[in-house]
Amino acid sequence: MTTLATPFSAQVNLIQPIIDGLAHGAAYGLLGLGLVLIYKSNRIFNFAQGEFAGVGALMTYMIYTGYSFLPKLPFGLAAVAGLLAGILTALATERAVIRPLFHRPRVVLVVGTVGVTLLLIGVEGLVFPRGGALPTVDAVVGLDTPYLTKIDGVPLLYQNLLTLAVLAILAVGAFLFFRHTNTGTAILAVSQDSTAARVVGISIERISMITWGIAGLLGGIAGIILAVPPAGTVLPGAFTGTILTVAFSAAVLGGMTSLPGAFAGGLLMGLIEAFANADYSFIPGLSSLPSAQSEVAVAVVLLLVLLARPQGLLGREV
Amino acid sequence: MSLLEIENLRAGYGTMPVLQGISFSVEAGETTVMFGLNGAGKSTTVNAIAGLVESWSGEIRFDGQRIDRRPMTDVVRSGIALCPEGRRVFPGLSVRTNLELGAWTRRSVTKEQMDLVMSYFPRLEERADQLAGTMSGGEQQMLAIGRAMMSKPRLLLIDEASLGLSPALTQIVFKVISQINADGTTVIIVEQNVGVLPYADQAIVMEKGTITFDGRGKELAATGDLRELYLG
Repeated sequence: MTTLATPFSAQVNLIQPIIDGLAHGAAYGLLGLGLVLIYKSNRIFNFAQGEFAGVGALMTYMIYTGYSFLPKLPFGLAAVAGLLAGILTALATERAVIRPLFHRPRVVLVVGTVGVTLLLIGVEGLVFPRGGALPTVDAVVGLDTPYLTKIDGVPLLYQNLLTLAVLAILAVGAFLFFRHTNTGTAILAVSQDSTAARVVGISIERISMITWGIAGLLGGIAGIILAVPPAGTVLPGAFTGTILTVAFSAAVLGGMTSLPGAFAGGLLMGLIEAFANADYSFIPGLSSLPSAQSEVAVAVVLLLVLLARPQGLLGREV
Repeated sequence: MSLLEIENLRAGYGTMPVLQGISFSVEAGETTVMFGLNGAGKSTTVNAIAGLVESWSGEIRFDGQRIDRRPMTDVVRSGIALCPEGRRVFPGLSVRTNLELGAWTRRSVTKEQMDLVMSYFPRLEERADQLAGTMSGGEQQMLAIGRAMMSKPRLLLIDEASLGLSPALTQIVFKVISQINADGTTVIIVEQNVGVLPYADQAIVMEKGTITFDGRGKELAATGDLRELYLG
């Protein structure tokens, strides 16, 4: 029988993990949205999505701080430059790697995105070898405190609220885009049968470019919002190394083809991690582990969900 | 001037030639049926007309304009629609969305055209909200033809309309195609089923990438045992 080392505290064991979990989960969801978008259209796991975020964050940082020969500009303009960098990187990936390999087996395209990731990390390292961080929203706006309020002593950070709000807006926006716009429907059509899409007159090349452009935009947004202290950083490969793997799990958990699923999967992953870290001493099995409680908890939940529902929480089998 | 004119068309896949320089024309308002064994080049011919397969040499003229080597989007916009072999409906999209995508090059879906397609295939209206991938083979064939009709084509190309269908369903599909033709759309059907011959104004028989018969459907019917002579 396990002996509890510390008594249950609502602040430490309930409120803090909820707030942390939602904040981290929103980060996973943000990257997960881009992963789902590309999977829906090209049926591939895009390993470069983390570096679309990385490039966006890096460009924003370099222009905001006037790095090297670059002009120092206000954060808003720097963020626009960061978003453009994310979009252009994704478009270049589509044009140079995806389009020439489009009719090859999907695994070839996946490996292609791995190559893009390694290349981008290398280039980022050459351009900007040291680390940095973007300012939080309260610093940009000039607020007195970094938090809106405290719940039982736990601060509710503006930055976390912004991340959650952006994630929710993007998830709903992307859902509506696919449900109610011609371009969104065309992307789905291309993903299901590219030959049939050509037959009805859809330009595969144009749709592919639009899809990757949107993925780059989502990546850029994620990079600018997530490369902030305390956890976030502008460092070559940081997004691929820390968030991408969990974002993949979140997207799979949510149902890989479902944009709301990426949202829900991301939040769920974040909450599981946070609760496992905070409450592992109360959970038989987890309490006996020396470390990595959150990783084990995430893996167990992911496996259980996929065993019971292979298409993920909100995915659909056809 | 014929609606469709093909001169010395050569085409194939990769480096493998299929069409060995075929020539034929199709008159506006008629139904042309292309017969032949597997590998004869029938599907390659309609795919080349639609722009799905690139022409190597020769000319394809539609309404006097050259359309070979033009992007498929332009070919569809010019008034040619292909109902491809194997139906190729979008399985994860609803019947209604499949039909709406058929009107992609027109940028808007007219209620008139949707109603017309539904009148050809009332089953599609009953299943409008159903995912296309969950329908039977016959229903998917109806959807594929209906989707092609959504672009208001002047020339409809149908590749293997009866493949995998029961004899009864095949006759229903042939009758609807006949009605589509009677309503003013020129039709080219690729078939191995000789049951379509009564609907053919023009008949073309292909063998090994060449045309071995090009004449009126009645002439081909009068040649005797069509299956034995041309279809093996």
